[in-house]
Parts: sequence; C-alpha cells; structure tokens
Amino acid sequence: MGDVILTMKGIDKSFPGVHALDHVDFEVRSGEVHALMGENGAGKSTLMKVLTGIYKKDSGTITYQGKEVEFHNTREAQDAGIVIVHQELNMVGDLTVAQNIFIGREPTKGIRIDDKKMIEDSKALFKRLKIDIDPRARMKDLTVGKQQMCEIAKAISHDAKVIIFDEPSAALTEKEIEDLFVIIRDLRAQNLGIVYISHRMDEIKVITDRVTVMRDGGYVGTLITKDCTKEDIINMMVGRVIYEEPKTHSMCPPDAPVVLKVEHLNAGRMVQDVSFELHKGEILGFSGLMGAGRTETARAIFGADPKQSGKISVLDKASGQLKEVTINSPEDAVKAGIGYLSEDRRRYGIVVGKSIIENSTLACLEEYTHGIFIDKKKEKQVTEKFIDELATKTPSADQLVMNLSGGNQQKVVIAKWLVKNSDILIFDEPTRGIDVGAKNEIYKLMNKLAAQGKSIIMISSEMTEILRMSDRIVIMCEGKKTGEMDIAEATQESIMDKATRNIS
Amino acid sequence: MEKIKQNPVVRKIGFNRVILIGVLILMYLVFCVAIKGFAAAGMNHFMNTLNYVYFLGFLSLGVTFSIATGGIDFSIGPVMFCCALIGGYCFNSYKMPLGTSIVIIILVGLIFGIFNGYMIAYQSIPPFIISMASMNIAKGVGAVFTHVNSQSFPLSSDPVNGWFSNIVSYKGFPTGFVLFLLAAIICGIIMYNTRAGRYILCLGSNEEAVRLSGVNTRKYKMIAYVICGLMAGIAAVFFVATYTTVQPGYGDQYNNEAIAGCVMGGTSMTGGIASILGTVIGVFIISLLQEGILAAGFGKDIQLVVTGIIVIVAVYADVTARRRKN
Amino acid sequence: MTKKKSIFNDQRVIAALVAVALTVVYLIFSKEFRQYSSFLSMLDFSYYDILMAFGVTFPLITGGVDLSIGTGMVCYALIAGQLVRNNGLPVGAAIVLCLLLGLAFGIINGILVGVMGLAPFIATLSTCMITRGVGSALSATPWPTLQQPGGWFHSIFKWQFGTGRSAFKFPFGIVLMLILMFVLEFVLNHTKFGRYTIAIGSNREATALSGINVKFYHVMVYAVCGLLTGFAAVAYAAVTPTVQPGTGAGLEMDGIGGVFVGGVSATGGYGSIIGSFIGTMVIVLLKTGLPYIGLQSNWQQIITGAVLIISVMIDIVKKRRAAATA
Repeated sequence: MGDVILTMKGIDKSFPGVHALDHVDFEVRSGEVHALMGENGAGKSTLMKVLTGIYKKDSGTITYQGKEVEFHNTREAQDAGIVIVHQELNMVGDLTVAQNIFIGREPTKGIRIDDKKMIEDSKALFKRLKIDIDPRARMKDLTVGKQQMCEIAKAISHDAKVIIFDEPSAALTEKEIEDLFVIIRDLRAQNLGIVYISHRMDEIKVITDRVTVMRDGGYVGTLITKDCTKEDIINMMVGRVIYEEPKTHSMCPPDAPVVLKVEHLNAGRMVQDVSFELHKGEILGFSGLMGAGRTETARAIFGADPKQSGKISVLDKASGQLKEVTINSPEDAVKAGIGYLSEDRRRYGIVVGKSIIENSTLACLEEYTHGIFIDKKKEKQVTEKFIDELATKTPSADQLVMNLSGGNQQKVVIAKWLVKNSDILIFDEPTRGIDVGAKNEIYKLMNKLAAQGKSIIMISSEMTEILRMSDRIVIMCEGKKTGEMDIAEATQESIMDKATRNIS
Repeated sequence: MEKIKQNPVVRKIGFNRVILIGVLILMYLVFCVAIKGFAAAGMNHFMNTLNYVYFLGFLSLGVTFSIATGGIDFSIGPVMFCCALIGGYCFNSYKMPLGTSIVIIILVGLIFGIFNGYMIAYQSIPPFIISMASMNIAKGVGAVFTHVNSQSFPLSSDPVNGWFSNIVSYKGFPTGFVLFLLAAIICGIIMYNTRAGRYILCLGSNEEAVRLSGVNTRKYKMIAYVICGLMAGIAAVFFVATYTTVQPGYGDQYNNEAIAGCVMGGTSMTGGIASILGTVIGVFIISLLQEGILAAGFGKDIQLVVTGIIVIVAVYADVTARRRKN
Repeated sequence: MTKKKSIFNDQRVIAALVAVALTVVYLIFSKEFRQYSSFLSMLDFSYYDILMAFGVTFPLITGGVDLSIGTGMVCYALIAGQLVRNNGLPVGAAIVLCLLLGLAFGIINGILVGVMGLAPFIATLSTCMITRGVGSALSATPWPTLQQPGGWFHSIFKWQFGTGRSAFKFPFGIVLMLILMFVLEFVLNHTKFGRYTIAIGSNREATALSGINVKFYHVMVYAVCGLLTGFAAVAYAAVTPTVQPGTGAGLEMDGIGGVFVGGVSATGGYGSIIGSFIGTMVIVLLKTGLPYIGLQSNWQQIITGAVLIISVMIDIVKKRRAAATA
C-alpha cells in the first residue's frame, strides 16, 4: 500500500428532508483496493457522487494528490484522474463500443473524428484487459456483462489515478467477475487507488485491502480486511447483531394444493423452458445471479412481456381444480388472481404523483364504483383499513405516495394487491432500497400473508434473504431453471453451485 | 398569504385557480383603463369574449384530457374546421336538414378522435406525429370534400333554421354560456369521479405502473383522445352557430389558444395533473386577451405572437415547479 | 457481430423505390410530366423542402422536433424581402439576413428545449405561431425578379444558357443540394457535433455524465436547423413569385414528413441526411405530381399525413419485432 492519494474529510450533504451525508471521512491510498460498504441508503453512492462533482457538498474538504480540490462535474473529475464506473450502465446504445469509450474526447483530424484511431485504441485497450469485444459493435447489441466491461475499459482508458467501482459485479457472471478481479489486481499493481462498492461480503474478503463502513449517512469506521471477520463488518453496517438464522424447514404443509403451475414457459432469450409449481401458503424463493432471467420469468407469467409458448394453470377456487389460463396482458393475470410487486417500485409499482387511496384501489377500481362513478367514501375506508393493518406510516390516506419512505411505498404496493385480494403474489426484490428496520417489517408481513394462505414467489439476489424466507427454492441461470430444492437441504454453496451451472 | 391559502373555499378550488381568477379580473380592468372605448363598449366586448369562449372552451376541455395522459393533440383546430366544413357541405350542397348536419359535424370529430386515439394507444405512435398527420389530413379532407369552397350556416334571421343561433344566444340570453358550463361540469365529473378519469390521470403520471396493476391502459388512453375529438366536433357546432362561416385551410391557430388555456389553468404538460376548473378560467383569460388585442387595434398577428409567448411561459412555469419539487 | 440484413431493411431503399415508382406512374399517365419544364419546376419547388428536411433531421435525431420551420421560413423571407423592397437592402445582405434570422430563431428554440427543458413540440409549436404572427404582420413582398436588379439570386438555383426559345436552363440547385447533402452527412457521422446529436437522441443522461456539455449541443442542434431553415427561406423566395404573409403553416409537414419517410427513428438516436433527401423527394413527387394525374392539390395534404403515419409505423413495427426476437 502506498501513500494517501485522496482524502475526504467531514463531508456533509443534505437534500430537502434528508441528511444524506453526516460528516463522513474517507481516504484512498495508491495501490490499495478500498471497499466502501453499507446498507442501501447508507450514503455510499452519494459520497462518490459528491467526490466526482455530480452533487455539491455542503461542507467538508476533499484533498487529492496533496491539494484541496472541488470538482463541478464528472468531466473535471475525469480530467484530474478520478473516474467512476456507474452502477446503472452509462452508455449510449446507438453508438458503437469505440465511440462510447471515447465519447467526449474523440481524437480528431481537423474537424473529422478519427474513428480508425478510436477503433485501434479500443482494440489495444481490450487486449490489455484481455476482453474479447468488437469495438465496432453497437453498444445496445451487447449483453449486459459486456456492456459493463466496456464501462470499465472506458474508465481505465482515462489514465485514472483513482477508479471507483459502484457495484460492478451485480450484472456479471461468475466468470466475468473473475476476469474483473484479475483486472483490478493488475490495476492495484500499477499503484492506482481503487474504491470498490459492493454488497457481496465474499467479494470484499477476496479482493479488498481495507473496508470503510457507512451507516445512515454517517461514517462508522475503517478496518483492515484481513484482520476482520464477516460478522465484524455486518455488525458495523447494521449497528447491532441481527445475523439472521436461516429457515430450517418449510412452513408449508406437504399436502398443500398447487395454486400455480407453470409448464415449459418460453419468452425470449431470458426465459427458456421454465417449469415449476407453487403451493398454497408457500414462499417460493427464486435465486440466481443478476440477469439470470428471474424477473423476466415473473414478467412473462404476469403478461407484462410477450411470451412465445408455455402453459400456465391456476387453482380454480370454485372447482378446486387447476385450470389453464391464457395470460396475454397484466389485465388477464390480475383476473387470474396474480399480483406482481416489481423490483423498481417507482417505475413499475406506484404512481408517485397520486395519493395512497388512488394507488390502493388501482387494481380493482371496479369494485369501488357505482355505475360509472367512484365511491370515494368506500375507497377511503378500505385504504385506511390497510394502512392500519400494514402499519403504513403516513399522516393520512390522502398523502401523495412520493412523500413516503421506500418501506412505506412498498406497503402501499402490497396494499394494492391485498385490496384486490390476489392469491398469488410475486415479490421481485421485495426489500431493495428499504432500510434495515423496515426490511424486517416486510419480512414479517410476508410470513403473515403466507400463513393466511397467500402464495408467494419471492425473487431475491440476497442469499440471506432467500435462506431466511423461502420454504422452497428455485434456482435460475442464464434463462434456464437449473435447480429446485427444499429449504431443509439448501445451503449457500449448493445454491451458488446451481446458479452458476451453465456458465463456462 | 398563508391565511388565504388555508381558507376552505380557496383550498377546495386551489390557490393557483384563485390567482387565475384575480388575473382575469385584473386583465379586464386593465383593458378598461388602457384601451379607449373598451369600458364604454362594455357589454359588446363582453359578448364577443363569450362568443370566443364557447368554441375555444370546448376545444380546451377536450385537449385537457389528452394532455392529462401525458400526450398532446394539436390537430383539434383544423379538425374543428374540417367538421364544420363537412357539415356545412352536407347542409348546403346535399340539402340535408340542419339537425342531421349538426350530428354529422359531431360525428366527424368523433371519428378523428377515434383515429388519433387508436393510432396513439394501440399503435404506439408518438402523439405529436399523429397530431401533425391529423392536422394535415383534416385540412386536406376539409378542402377536398367542399371542393375548396367556404361553407355558410343559417343566420338568426333565417325563417326556417334561425333556431340554430339560439345555441349560443337566445334573445340576448347567453345560452352558449350555460351549455359550456354544463359541459365543463360533465368533464369535471368524468375526470375526477369516474373510473375512466382516474385511470387517465394515473396513466398520465405513470403508465407502466397502471398497466402492471392490470388496467387496460390502451383503452383508457384511447378514450382520452376520443373525448378530445368529440369535443372538437362540438366546438365546431358552436363555432358555426356563432360565426356562421368557415373557410377551408384554416384552424391551426386555435390549437395553441386551446392548449394555452389548458396549460395556464394548471394542467401539466407531463401528464397526470389536470384541472377542469383551471381550463375554464384559462379559456376566459385567453378569450378576453384575444378580444382585448383586437379592441386595442391590433390584428390576428399579434394574437398569434402573444398566445405563443403565453404557452411558453405557462409550460416553463410548470417545468420549473416540477423541478423544484424533485 | 452485426447480423446480415437485407437491403430492404433499410428504409432509404424502400423510399427510393417508392420515388422511382411514383415517377414511373406519372410518366405513364401524364404527357405534361414528360416535359423538361415539368422536371425543372418540380425541382424548383423541392429545394426549400429539402433544406427544411436537412435542418429538421437534427432535432428529429435527438428525439425532438421543430414545428416552426414552415412558418419560420416564410417569416424570414418576408422580413428580408420587405427590407429589400422598402429600404433598399442589397439582395446579398438580405440572404445573409435570412440565414441570421433562421439562426436566431433556431437558438431560441434550442434554449427553450435544451436549456429550459420544454417539450420540443410545445416549444416549437409556440414559436411556429410567433413566427407566423410576425410574418402576417408584414405585407406581401415580392423579392426582385430575375430581370430586376438583385435578381441574380435566382440563378443560384437555375443557370440559364442562351436566350429566347433556345434557352437551356440547368437546375444548378439540385447540384447544390447534393453537395450540401454530402457535407451534412459528413457532419452527422464524422464530427463531434453530429456524434453528440445522435448521443443526445439515444441517451441524453449518459451523454451528460460522459462530461459533454449537452445543453450547448442541444442548442446547437436547433441552431443548425434554424440556419438551414434560413437558407430554405432564400430558396423559397427564389421560386415563389410573391411571398404571402400569414402562410407557411403546413409547409413544415413537407420537411418533417420527408425525414420520416427517409427512415429517421421516431424515438431518436438514428437518422441519415441521405435518407432525408430521398424521403423529401418522395414528398415532393406527391406534392407536385398529383395534379398531373388529375388529383386536386389538396389531396396532397391527406396523402402526406398518411405517408407520415405509415413511415413511422414501419419504424415502430420493425423495433417491436426486433424486441420480440431479442
């Protein structure tokens, strides 16, 4: 480990209503990989955005290479040698790979952009990183993993002194992650300072030298990675020991009837021949890496995306028999008693500009109308009932959903499906973007719903969540179902093994 | 200030709407002071303004629905003219009864609404492209159908069909005003108290979330444009009842005036937020403004410029308000 | 990496085939169309459309639009023409003035859209009305004819060899357009301005995060469109005996329609100047050719509207299919 290259001291930043960073300290030395950890919303990304000039800090100092600096935009930070590989892919799909890598600093001959040189330089860059990508390919034709690799290549090409990786592994396959680590070690050997933001404890242990932990916008502490245990880091992250015990056995009775049967479902590249059954009162975990096709499977079942083939049967309440249903749109799915809670609540779950009432009755407004007129009184009653039942924190039912916290927004989405009285609920990453306390509440709620006889499919990328909540686990990899196991026999290792099965 | 905002009546109709009413009254007073003879001609200008309000009001109410979905329909002006031209040709050349012609006028508007709605909702073509296309098609159809002849409708002195002008004014009583308010109330009920209105507003705010709640968003999006087209047809009836003559090839200036009235009233161009009451007040402001400009001795040209600027300012105000919120 | 595609997947090829087919139909059915003078007059009326199309290609690639090109063009021609006639402005200076006016209004549009964040169609619909209002405030002004002093600017577009009956007119304008086409195609594909235009249309957020001053380039996009519209004003004055005040509404459809026929993506991110050229030729053929086969010229508006919808639908259906197989 070399000298300190970057120091952030007493960084403070507030947004209206949120104290996002509370006097945070952070430093990076050259030749180290420094992990930045914390729960969702702990302020890691905000800190890095302050560093690279996307946000302006309220107070505090940033010292870089011995001088106090303040960047006003990413361009200035880039020019100084601090680059960030964003979590959300930051690419222009209609341009080629080479054009993306050199965007904003194209080599020119007169006014003409020298595309030839760009392609040559990209090839050299990829060779150095041992990546096989055609620089002339259009960005949007590449897989997510390859796009991520291009992002990394772009960052490295900036002649950077400090590179920030914001959850780089989330979209990568096991093989790609290994490649990434080779690259990172190589960069460390070249005396660069590397900031590595990740949730994956195992990666932190493997790749990083030091760990800085943040909690609720504040600085908690910095540890030498090899001197600490996983539990040490977790304790710092959550502030108390709540290392959750996994479920030991299924809570679902073995004779519970099948409520949903999916057979040979095909929908594009991401869903290939998927079959499974869901029992009444069961929580069925869907595990796998990012991009394994779990969300796509859920969306295909729900009719949100078109599917090529497959048979979906739902338990018919009247006859007690499974009955095939045709689902071509979410409308059909909702009629069949399925509800879907998306991973991206703000985009797909709630109408943020509308009130809790309007969101709660969105799925079954027809039950709250007389003729063509909406019965606003009845609507309010049912909304208030579920606000009480789910313990949603809000001053009133008329509150706009945009003013609620992530956890409470999730409760509004749950309320929507409970008002509709859907029997099958698909939770896609139910606790993403939700703080620790609210997370537990959501878990309790899901358990309660299952006990009441609702059947739940839970898609989750967090292994602890899968092991804690599921009665049974389906594992997917690259669009195919690669395994299915009862919770009693599931271990982290056995799940990971199946989740990476197809990957060569 | 805060006290006024907390007043229950003010809260019910919205603080911005109260300001708008203030602007309307202030504008009238300014015209009375600044324009010679405006106050003296009093009732005359007032009636002219009302006449303008009728047809523009229907256009504006209609376009409020399309804007509420987050889309736009700026074919309504030419569509209104196309409706009137076709109806007029049926009346004048095919010698159809006036009643039938009126029904045809409204039907043509409805057909345009269905076409626009279908193309936008079911074929996913961007609304501004359909608006452009429909605008041209409406102008072309209007011209081709009438062989490029202007069409006249009966005056109030007409012995047989004189009743037609009663739609806007019956022996000095502004029946048009009553009908317009009635239409506004119906639109308000549709927007705020029916399923269609609720879905239109919600999908304007976040279409995908509404679709994933199992709502047939396409259907409701289409309904918004159908209402818009229907209102353009009704506007055409009021236009010819007031002004009696329509020429082919015109009508696009009314697009902007209708949109201006709607956006001024607090309907957001990004969708999801709509105010029928705001639209009604906005239409009055725009109509009074047009009358004021004419009374001050300026022409149609200045009207166009001023309306253009108003739209820019109103939309920009909405954009900044939204930005501040986030 | 890239899959081999049939050349018919390129909308430009289809557009070119349509243009050829139209020409063949006209040649077969119309004697007049076969004359050289018809060819010349068709070209005369194509230049301003082509220039508008070239200009508006840039905003359309960014996913925006400029609806003010038609009325803007007429407005600049009127202002400059009036100064030539009443104030003795030399024609050379008038041409520069047209370009500057176009540039100025383009920058205004650019600021409204790129900096203030107004939706492109609403911002430019407003400036469309404003330029139209300004235009109609002026009186009809013929620019100097070929024989009058200053009439030389007509010969930019049409070189005449010999005099009297044996005179041969060479349409130099089309050569100019082809040169400009290659220059702009180069600008679009091989300069920073062009690249960032595509990047903004594809993903404005990501482009900004790459450290590019997107606001500046977004303004530039509309400025270039304005500049070319200014040039179109010169071409319009060169072929129109008298530029009429208050006209120009609807002319934007020729340009925008042409670009869409040429295969620009309705959602931005892709476009080609060569495509815009071919597409505009299709529109021009429809516009000038219909009377030759006995159709009223107003049919053109209807057909242009329909062509616009069809070409956008082709783009959307293609994308939908690509998404389904992904």
